[in-house]
Amino acid sequence: MTQEHDAKSDDDAIVQIRNLHKWYGPFHALKNISLDVRRGEKIVICGPSGSGKSTLIRCVNGLERYSEGRILANGHLVDHRSDHLRLICQEVGMVFQHFNLFPHLTVMENCTLALTRVRKIPKAEAIEVAQHFLERVRIPEHGNKYPSQLSGGQQQRVAIARSLCMRPKVMLFDEPTSALDPEMIKEVLEVMTGLAREGMTMLCVTHEMGFAREVADRIVFMDAGAIVEEAPPEEFFGAAKHERSRKFLSQLLH
Amino acid sequence: MSFLDVLSVIWSGFGVTAEVTLLSLAYGVPFALIFGILQFTTQGWCRHAATIVIEFWRSSPVIILLFVFYYALPLAGLTLQAMSVAALVLGLNIGGYGSQAVRAALQSLDRGQYEAGMAMGLTRIQTLMLIELPQALKAMVPTFVNLLIQLVKGTALVSLITLADMTYKAKSVAQMTFDPASAYMGLLLSYFIICYPLTILGRSLERRLAVAKEGGHV
Ligand SMILES: Nc1ncnc2c1ncn2[C@@H]1O[C@H](COP(=O)(O)OP(=O)(O)OP(=O)(O)O)[C@@H](O)[C@H]1O
Ligand SMILES: [Mg+2]
Repeated sequence: MTQEHDAKSDDDAIVQIRNLHKWYGPFHALKNISLDVRRGEKIVICGPSGSGKSTLIRCVNGLERYSEGRILANGHLVDHRSDHLRLICQEVGMVFQHFNLFPHLTVMENCTLALTRVRKIPKAEAIEVAQHFLERVRIPEHGNKYPSQLSGGQQQRVAIARSLCMRPKVMLFDEPTSALDPEMIKEVLEVMTGLAREGMTMLCVTHEMGFAREVADRIVFMDAGAIVEEAPPEEFFGAAKHERSRKFLSQLLH
Repeated sequence: MSFLDVLSVIWSGFGVTAEVTLLSLAYGVPFALIFGILQFTTQGWCRHAATIVIEFWRSSPVIILLFVFYYALPLAGLTLQAMSVAALVLGLNIGGYGSQAVRAALQSLDRGQYEAGMAMGLTRIQTLMLIELPQALKAMVPTFVNLLIQLVKGTALVSLITLADMTYKAKSVAQMTFDPASAYMGLLLSYFIICYPLTILGRSLERRLAVAKEGGHV
């Protein structure tokens, strides 16, 4: 077992997940998950509702406590010492399904908060950094607005910019487009595709199979708390090995 | 004695009523914030201890607390001035209610707010102070105005521990003129004059917050 994993691991792995288990009381939510994410790699995680996708990526930045196993993020052990987690959260960005922007702060303040309070850089400098990333997600002109004054797609792009401001080594996405109207999904996916092209390491839970096909290096298919299949997109979409993956894909397409 | 004279005697106690109210706030507001936050953020024995303290102040009859602190504590060698007793008891009583408003407002926030704060590397305290509390405080404003009105009305009890507030003055007018009807009608009117503007203030704040909720900013 360990040998197999050691063979699979390589020094390039920026996130190493080893033999991870998670129980919610008696419920076994993650079952022996092992996954390496290499620097610059884009991984799409998919699977039916309740299969543990969110739980898995939330373990990576410590939002969820795992029960057994080990996660290394950029060389740091993800444990529940709060100072360790803060260090990890500075290097691992996260984008949520419901954006989770701070409604009492402007777009600009949302983006500069962590820079000034965590990185402790001067405000003027933080504003410059934030402006740069707001331009990159193509909403440079809305800095003084409040989140509720923006469309869903714009809000999610602000959330992406807010994460990027910390210059993370890895980005986690948890169904970033599933709370959006169809016409706004595209603008968010475009931003994510751009990010992928520029070499960002991404761990992305999504059911946008077009996006997965285009940017993913690997697709990870989960079911009932376990990784069922792990394959490059052409293989996964062309000839999924497992019955459950095929069933999932056919349901998604129809 | 004309009704106006009665009123003017009653209002000579306004200073004491105002002082009791303000001093009570000085105890009550920090108490509400600290204990509401403790109940929200801690677990285990610490949370239990906070709950017991809150429940003690919230569920004991104010009038008995006033008597105990004023008459019984000196027997144990601790003598507090009437004003201090009044502010402490009224303040912590109203603060007990306030703490529940604080806790409820914090609990009603979307958990994603806390998660976003932690996920960007803020400390627990920073997340609380910069993200959760500012939003919760806004939601609490109407409740706090209501509690302030409760407090003003509650100050009527302090006349029982010798403080010469408006109620105390009304009682003395009633005794002097043998006309309790006009004394207490004057008193009722006086509290109404103080509390009604507060009610209006509370309602307008509530409206502004409701608008802000839709528009997203105040
Ligand atoms: N706090 C919790 N307490 C108990 N069970 C939980 C908790 N959070 C998640 N679960 C359970 O763990 C399982 C995995 O949940 P998770 O949210 O990771 O699924 P998911 O794959 O992200 O699903 P979805 O596509 O619906 O988002 C589900 O069966 C869920 O009911
Ligand atoms: Mg999920």
